[in-house]
Amino acid sequence: MRVDVGESSPTTGRPRSVRRLWHDRWAVAGLVGFGLLVLLAAGADLLTAIEGHNPYDYNNAALDPQSGTPAGPLGGVSGEHWFGVEPLTGRDLFAIVAYGARTSLLIGLASTVVSVVLGAALGLLAGYLGGWSDRIISRVGDVMFGFPYLIFLIAVGAVTPLSFPRPLLLIVLLGFFGWARVARIVRAQTLTLKQRSFVAASRVMGASTVQVLWRQLLPNLWAPIIVVGTLLVPERIAAEAALSFLGAGIPPPRPSWGRAIGSAVDWISTDPMFLLFPGAALFVATLSLNLVGDGLRDLFDPRSV
Amino acid sequence: MRLRRIVLPALALALVGCGANEQQPKTSTEAKAGGTLYILSDRATNPFDPAKSQGLPITTLGLVHRRLNAWNTAPGKDATVAPDLGTDAGTTTDGGKTWKFTLKDGLKFSDGSPITSADVKWGVERSFAPTFSGGLGYHKTLLEGGSTYKGPFAGQELNSIETPDTKTLIFHLARPYGDWPWIASTAAFAPVPKGKGTEATYGEHPIASGPYQVSKYQSGIEIRLTHNPQWSKDTDPNRTGLPNEIVFQLGQQSTVISKRLIDDSGNDKDAVSIPFVAPAQLAQLQGNALAKKRLVTSSSGAVAYLAINVTRGPLTDPRVRQAFQYAVDKSAFQVASAGSAALAGDVATTLITPGIGGREKFDLYPAPPTGDPAKAKALLAAAGHPAGLDNLTLVVSNANNSAEKAQAIQAAVARAGIKVTIKPLDSDAFDEAITGSKGDYDLALLSWQADFPSPNANLQPLYASSEIGNGGYNVSRYSNPAVDQAITQAQSVVDPVAAGKQWAAIDKRIMQDSPVVPLIYTRNSFLHGSAVTGFYIPEFPAYPNYLQIGLGQ
Amino acid sequence: MRAARFVGGRLLGMLIVLLVVALISYLIFYLLPADPARLACGRPCTPANLAIARDFMGLNEPWYRQLLDFLTGIVAGRTFGSGTAAIHCAAPCFGYSFQQNAQVIDLITSRAPVTASLALGAAVLWLILGVGSGVLSAVRRGTAIDRLTMAGAVAGVSTPTYLLGLLGILVFGFTLDMVPVSGYVPIVDSPVDWAWHLILPWLVLAYVNAALYARLTRGQMLEAFGEDYIRTARAKGLSEKRVVGWHALRNVLLPVVTLFGIDLGALLGGAVITERVFGLPGIGALMIDAVQSLDLPLLLGCTLFGALVVVICNFAVDLVYGLLDPRTRGGNA
Repeated sequence: MRVDVGESSPTTGRPRSVRRLWHDRWAVAGLVGFGLLVLLAAGADLLTAIEGHNPYDYNNAALDPQSGTPAGPLGGVSGEHWFGVEPLTGRDLFAIVAYGARTSLLIGLASTVVSVVLGAALGLLAGYLGGWSDRIISRVGDVMFGFPYLIFLIAVGAVTPLSFPRPLLLIVLLGFFGWARVARIVRAQTLTLKQRSFVAASRVMGASTVQVLWRQLLPNLWAPIIVVGTLLVPERIAAEAALSFLGAGIPPPRPSWGRAIGSAVDWISTDPMFLLFPGAALFVATLSLNLVGDGLRDLFDPRSV
Repeated sequence: MRLRRIVLPALALALVGCGANEQQPKTSTEAKAGGTLYILSDRATNPFDPAKSQGLPITTLGLVHRRLNAWNTAPGKDATVAPDLGTDAGTTTDGGKTWKFTLKDGLKFSDGSPITSADVKWGVERSFAPTFSGGLGYHKTLLEGGSTYKGPFAGQELNSIETPDTKTLIFHLARPYGDWPWIASTAAFAPVPKGKGTEATYGEHPIASGPYQVSKYQSGIEIRLTHNPQWSKDTDPNRTGLPNEIVFQLGQQSTVISKRLIDDSGNDKDAVSIPFVAPAQLAQLQGNALAKKRLVTSSSGAVAYLAINVTRGPLTDPRVRQAFQYAVDKSAFQVASAGSAALAGDVATTLITPGIGGREKFDLYPAPPTGDPAKAKALLAAAGHPAGLDNLTLVVSNANNSAEKAQAIQAAVARAGIKVTIKPLDSDAFDEAITGSKGDYDLALLSWQADFPSPNANLQPLYASSEIGNGGYNVSRYSNPAVDQAITQAQSVVDPVAAGKQWAAIDKRIMQDSPVVPLIYTRNSFLHGSAVTGFYIPEFPAYPNYLQIGLGQ
Repeated sequence: MRAARFVGGRLLGMLIVLLVVALISYLIFYLLPADPARLACGRPCTPANLAIARDFMGLNEPWYRQLLDFLTGIVAGRTFGSGTAAIHCAAPCFGYSFQQNAQVIDLITSRAPVTASLALGAAVLWLILGVGSGVLSAVRRGTAIDRLTMAGAVAGVSTPTYLLGLLGILVFGFTLDMVPVSGYVPIVDSPVDWAWHLILPWLVLAYVNAALYARLTRGQMLEAFGEDYIRTARAKGLSEKRVVGWHALRNVLLPVVTLFGIDLGALLGGAVITERVFGLPGIGALMIDAVQSLDLPLLLGCTLFGALVVVICNFAVDLVYGLLDPRTRGGNA
């Protein structure tokens, strides 16, 4: 069951007890779901080898010769093709989902790391230094919140030459557009912590700004950072999928959930399974991470239960 | 063919007085006058400015604007040039350097003023002004003084267009050009009342010469065309002008358009579409017998091809390029395009597309439809690449599921050891990449539909060295002085039959150098509502003739 | 006096932000690998034609000159070309779209009602739904209602808008035929049709956002419940309704208002994916068209408009913040 409302512990930054997380059924479910996806992504080579197909080969034999739709029922699901095949190409959908998991998870996690690092640094500076730095960082952050970043990403994607690896570009850009959220939370926490006695004490003892930031404030910020980070990952994954849906994400033939969903949209009435598998995978990924993030937040800040 | 050109106009002259419609093609069902035709469009705009149009004469611009010449299309027959505003399709007495047109009597604009030769001249001149450029501009380099002319709005005239009286036009060309009658069917040859048409938004409320005029233009929402009372069927055998009103519904999603036409309820019975049916909807149709009856598929169409940049690395060797001819899998490409070979189109082996007079069928690189990877490998080995090729870039547009089709090519050539990276680009970025001067790609996947039904329009824009970069479509950057000379020579021949023979020879010659791999002649499929009549797709072009659609019931 | 300084300072800040956005946008779009003049060049496009087109559109100038022309155009208007067929872009000229033959500002204002209808309608729905269910959950913490609502909320936060929208169109539009599948009818033409065309997009947007607000509200309320002043209010014997309604809710208002301002600002700047999925001719759809057809003036204009809306909404939020929280009045946020 959930943690009771009680005395708020002076946030030492360390979780009361990670074991408590196991009591939260939803969080556990989330962990399991996410774990399964990680296994799928990591074991994509092995699993597809067992199945016997890769996401690149065209299998025209698996298609209906009249129309190009998958030959069997349920979108071609069979012992041969566990999730069926893609229309018009015959490519194995399970392999696409499995390798697509790699793409989505990699980009989601890496871009979150970028956001967190950038956001924590800026949020810390804004909160601690105050004054002009705070004003500038906050203003910029506010504008970035509402910026039509999808359009920007499409435009920047069109500008960069092919030689620059696309996944890296997406990680950097998506990461860059996520710092505002992290910064906001970190800034708020910093403002609160700034007033605390231990900070004042360390300054009296002659600690420099950097030392205060690094030794005193940062350790106490891990909790909210982890929480917002965990909640940011599903957003980044969804953003990458949205970009691929609009045709500006990972280029073919590298499998991507978003691109598969984008193609599946047209086939909704003829082959709904094509949408179902990658769509469900995306949903499970975002849902599990949200559940885990919720659990972590409940753990670290019991008052918000 | 020249004989035919003189005979037909004579016939037309004789029949004009009688008001008979000699040139009217056979329509599939009984077409009646009246009703409102709905045209469903996936675009946000559909402007009717003739100077800025790159459209075909038989599509929507032709509903509002007539031109000097029109296209005579009929199911199962090659398209031929037919007079529209003129009494004949143009005559020349000096081997194609000067062309004379005579306008019919009784032609009027929608505002009541008569259509004179000065108005046709003004329309052509107007297309040179920067505000109004963007349309087909073949005439700009062919007319004497055209390359330096900047339009009539600063008071200057284009002297190579002579108007000795209100009914006669004489065009002086910079060199002999046998296809000038086709050029005179492009949109710039639509008349605009002299002195008018100065505003950039002219396309939203133009002065019409065709059966319809624009009564309402709401960008992103709808356009309404109503009857032009000054248009008379007697002078216009190329258009039927049957519906009372035509309504364009703009900005519709193409999958929604297909769905509406399949469902065929309410006003959608009277509807046709601008975009063609997507493969997903084609698949859906296979199970719907009633809807399938209303699906019309062209017999041929634009040639889809893989362009090989002959200036890059290993691709400069013709043997390497010929390996591509065997490495591609055209049947997989067919399936990736539209689900089946029947819907996608026939395998292509020539550069001139079917439906164009003068085309000869040949195959210099015979292989089964799935290709011949072994032969490709052998050719590569002979050229010094036994391990295949690596790191080739294939640029492709994002539109029309081209990215998926490109993947079919990528998978196919991988069988011969050729590793390709796909770079999808938005359509305008794609155009820029392939027609720009940098040429920073190895392969490109695109298709080409000739702008008019002459082999000239299939070959010159794609293979003449003058069309490399700077906006030209010689995407393979192929430059062969012998071919350039042959092209100029063939263009100067006035007799289409003689010209056709020369063009066929050029086709073969270019294919020997293998700068492109022709893939399929893309079939287009269109759906129409059950009450729509007269809907057919001719041999060329692969688009319905919107000028002859009517509504039954 | 302080208020005037506050407003003045904010306005200056807004202007600076907009200028920076304009500069960055111009640089990025300028680098795009497409020559907008090519579209005005026609086919075949000869070098001579291309040069004429570039000259006409003012593209031969260096980028800083073009930016300056753009900025001065905002104040004084601009003219392209010369002679009778010159194109006049009256002040304020935020650019001229050669592809659509219209001033950017006209295009934006013609599409604004669509985006506004979508954004405001959905906003009202999600505020009511989100805050309402959040409060309900907080008050009935631990019960089935709470669990159900939060389950729905976490599902909502995990679903991409486009997926939900597509499924909605499939089920309610195509299969059940209850609502039109796409398109927009202006409210002046037929309020009923207007609402009918928007109901599905409203619900989809509202669900996804309400989920967020429900979670936020619930969390804030629970936090408030633990506060001393709530215990005091309860100890004083105030009715639960007053405790919840007045005291706790006031605490919740601040973060909700802040988030709402930002969300609304973002949505008013163009809900790109939702408009695409539902075929609504709004500003988001305009932006997607602009980036896909590389209509740079339009793209620039839309980006600036989006930034302007966000900045205005932030300003409004700051004002409301100042009103609601006396601690921040007269100082910095």
